[in-house]
Amino acid sequence: MIGAADSVESLRAEHEALMQFLYLAPVGLVQAGIDGEIVMINPISAQLLMPLSPDGCLTNLFTALEGVAPGLRLECAQFPKPNGMVFEGVHIHLCAEDRRGTPQILSLTLLKLDDARVMAVIQDVTAEVRRERQLRQSDAWLNAILTRISDYALAAIDRQGRLCDWNDSIARVTGFGEHIVGSPYSIFYPPDAMTNEHLLDRLREADSNGWSMDEGLRLRADGSQYWCSALIAPLPDREAFGDDPSAPAYCLILRDISDKRAATEKRRQAAFCDHLTELANRRAFFEAAELEFDRAAHTPRALALIVFDADHFKHVNDRYGHPAGDRVLCDLAGVLRDTFRAVDTVARLGGEEFAVLLPSTGIEQALASAERLRLAVSTRLVAADGAEIAYTVSAGVAVLDAGAGGIDLLLKRADEALYQAKAAGRNRVAAWTDELTHHADTPQRSRNAG
Amino acid sequence: MTSTSPTFDARGLADILDASSPEQLDALDFGVIAFDAESKVQRYNAFESQAAGLSPQRVIGEPLFTNVAPCLNNFMVAQRFEDAADEGSELDDTIDYVLTLRMRPVKVKLRLLASANGVAPGMRYVLVQRR
Repeated sequence: MIGAADSVESLRAEHEALMQFLYLAPVGLVQAGIDGEIVMINPISAQLLMPLSPDGCLTNLFTALEGVAPGLRLECAQFPKPNGMVFEGVHIHLCAEDRRGTPQILSLTLLKLDDARVMAVIQDVTAEVRRERQLRQSDAWLNAILTRISDYALAAIDRQGRLCDWNDSIARVTGFGEHIVGSPYSIFYPPDAMTNEHLLDRLREADSNGWSMDEGLRLRADGSQYWCSALIAPLPDREAFGDDPSAPAYCLILRDISDKRAATEKRRQAAFCDHLTELANRRAFFEAAELEFDRAAHTPRALALIVFDADHFKHVNDRYGHPAGDRVLCDLAGVLRDTFRAVDTVARLGGEEFAVLLPSTGIEQALASAERLRLAVSTRLVAADGAEIAYTVSAGVAVLDAGAGGIDLLLKRADEALYQAKAAGRNRVAAWTDELTHHADTPQRSRNAG
Repeated sequence: MTSTSPTFDARGLADILDASSPEQLDALDFGVIAFDAESKVQRYNAFESQAAGLSPQRVIGEPLFTNVAPCLNNFMVAQRFEDAADEGSELDDTIDYVLTLRMRPVKVKLRLLASANGVAPGMRYVLVQRR
């Protein structure tokens, strides 16, 4: 017969083994209250969350992730069912650059157990996402070939991206007539959706990958728009034309895929949009930035970044409540969307902090755009429970130095300029200058400035 | 232990711990984890064992940052030891941290100790004190 001491001992050993099992689990596991207050947490969670935690505590899961995933508290609170998966494997982007194996992308799963409790799973999925991205490119290519197409336009373009000829297919799909020969292929794009540099980038990408594809709204001759998939591929026998700059060098295929748009957009929305404002999220922002920096590294060009921060936003939340604060953020998102071009990436980076990446834009133009936005916002009134909330924003502007640094440096500089705008009294725009970086008391992140 | 027991923030603590017997380490009122250049845990005192709920046999000889305290495997802690080793410099930093002792978040101060390379190939230490 087993003695009481033995059974206590075996229970104790079992408990210790179970504890070690949790200590060693290679994923982060957290149990928290519905408000995010952490009850139990395993070591990998601490490893991943501690570097993010704004207050250096792991008291509240939502607070720890607030800087990189601002919508969690809201999404959890708005989850309509009594229990179930609030979201599964949502990607959270931390930083753009690889710092010696530091995680760049976390995956977060949140399960609501009941009205009082949630469980979370947190994983570093940086390597996995990188692999996926390469696969996605191949998928797009296969999609382009295999999907049933009703009609397409085929055009030849030269090394400068100018149309070499005209044919019936171009007329059918786009409505443009023969006069377009010699024009750049950007005539098929809405005016604010293509820059001269991007026009050439696509040709270069086609040269190095064998093809270049994009999808988006395109323009017909009558001004109407359609959802289009555009493929550019180098012509195999173009060397035969020698050095003639106006000889056909690429073929361009435009396909009207308007009926597929709804499905594509929904997928995009889920992965690349901020839940509250429907602007680009951090993931979309950092991917766009990476692409722009790659392109600028190959062919130097201007690139500007503006960061916007709603002034005294904490005050708005405290006085009118979080739902009103959210309405202010949505209003600001709307003004941002109206102010900037289709080619610009307008994103919500966190809390009340927004960023706009402006390709082929110098400091003067970026400052003017930021000022236009600031002015537009200062005239806005947001209705909230009988009150009308006026609000303002501050902005920091930085532009790419010849070849120096990546998006993290540009973001840091824009943040420093933003802090300057805050310190000078808010509701204003400031540009980054050399002195700002050497100014000792600039905080690391602007959101501390309020 | 007698009044000569060193405190968490004592100067020259690494040398004192190096010279301490297992019984002396067990009498300390803060956690001691000593590990070698390969990050294998060599000493694990009673305070730490009790707080984490793990007996020393489960921990000694295991790689610290992957098998014992994965929560420290980031740039705030593990990277500091690596950087100090790469530069051959001494490490003596104290930081605020949160450990997940028995799966509860516990606020602690961590003192990270490593001697400069080339001096003695001494132990490295993570010391844990509750705040």
